[in-house]
Amino acid sequence: MSEKVKLYDATKCTACRGCQLACKQWNQLPAKQTINRGTYQNPPDLQPNTWLLMRFQEISDGNGGVKWIYRKQACMHCTDAACVKVCPSGALHYTKYGTVSMDPAKCIGCKECIYACPFDVPRYDPETDKIAKCDMCFSRIDNGLEPACVKACPTGALQFGDKEKMLKLAYARVKELNGNAYVYGDKFVGGTHMIYVLPEEASVYDALPEKPRVPISVIAWKDLLKPLSLLATGGVLLGAFLHYILHGPKDTSGDQAGQGGGE
Amino acid sequence: MIPKKGMIKVSDGFERIIHWWLAITCLLLILTGLGMMFHSLNFLGIPVGGLKNLKLVHNFTGILFIPALFFAILTWWREAGVFEFPEDLEWIKCAGGYLWHVDNPPETGKYNPGQKAFFLAVAVFGVLMVISGLIMWFPLGMPRGLVAWMYPLHALGLLVIFPFFFIHLYLGTIGVPGSAPAIFTGYVTRSWCEKQCPKWLKEMEETGKLEVFGEEKDAAHH
Repeated sequence: MSEKVKLYDATKCTACRGCQLACKQWNQLPAKQTINRGTYQNPPDLQPNTWLLMRFQEISDGNGGVKWIYRKQACMHCTDAACVKVCPSGALHYTKYGTVSMDPAKCIGCKECIYACPFDVPRYDPETDKIAKCDMCFSRIDNGLEPACVKACPTGALQFGDKEKMLKLAYARVKELNGNAYVYGDKFVGGTHMIYVLPEEASVYDALPEKPRVPISVIAWKDLLKPLSLLATGGVLLGAFLHYILHGPKDTSGDQAGQGGGE
Repeated sequence: MIPKKGMIKVSDGFERIIHWWLAITCLLLILTGLGMMFHSLNFLGIPVGGLKNLKLVHNFTGILFIPALFFAILTWWREAGVFEFPEDLEWIKCAGGYLWHVDNPPETGKYNPGQKAFFLAVAVFGVLMVISGLIMWFPLGMPRGLVAWMYPLHALGLLVIFPFFFIHLYLGTIGVPGSAPAIFTGYVTRSWCEKQCPKWLKEMEETGKLEVFGEEKDAAHH
């Protein structure tokens, strides 16, 4: 099965939030009442019941004017996913499409993925004591459909398809724009399965890391200490056995030499 | 395992309770923790109804571990928490005669430097396990960078404690025969004491504090 990628082209996006609503509809995530904070960005951040959020920002254009920029935030579906690496139960797992799915039945609510994800995506739901995040509509893509957000997009800013094809489209679009726009996602964490075409530097966007990576704490934990503990366990088991058969147990009987030997 | 006349008391009832309390919580924590550390050991959650319950057993056993650790440190730090130089260094240099033949290993007090190292490892990393474990249990609202490093710290704790734990288990049973009664009845043979804690034995005899099974305690005329 070929890897699938969702392409988000911010230069075609009008921030209509159709994708955010479609996500809620398909995944049955009813909204909760929020307050008017003077922005279209609502709710303020990803939530257990908001897996996809349109983020809005006003930034200076450098000439005394204001630029209004937006970004579709959701799980990036890393190839080298730190959340999958730390998940103790296998609830977070790779699918045959290269995306990262979440099996709520297996989630034990340990929250380890929250502190591993370089994109700060998984959200803990105290009501279910489980983690929630975008699964790129696995139930849809596994049936040959595109994710709900892509289906709803009216401008063509969201597209879905085979990885090679989407990457080709992304780079063609960047070339076409002939400016500062660039592709975000294919160069780190093994390549993400959500790819952005962004008109602004990554550092300009809220909650978007410039150089995302699997945290060093996760590497130290899973790639160093975990194998070392296996090695140490094997070492002491084997060591104790060899000690017993080669060096022998310590004689604390107090018998004089020869007495117990039957000589 | 009834003590025989002439056997020597090396641990009182409180020490034995603390030892078992610490031992059982520690073993349970290791087993439940491993069940979450390795996918291949996830089945360890089956007896308690799944991995989520295994997490709960782990966390609440951790709560029971706290007083055990507290009393263990309080009870044994004087005898097992302080290295004495140069005699302990001499013992370390020849590994106490445990690894190769040594004619006359340096005489040790109640606990030898190996046991002291085990005590210190459990005391230091036990406290770190409690702190990191509690932060891992209730991470929300804590600084992200702090929480992220609690997981490798917790894994490091296992890496340090488990080998000591296993070596302790080996040497407390088949590795040094005659040791186990110390944690069941509290009484061991005199010859065991002469081999394992000769300095302590002499000290106790000199001060008349030695408790011998079947003898009056204040028989200091020995």
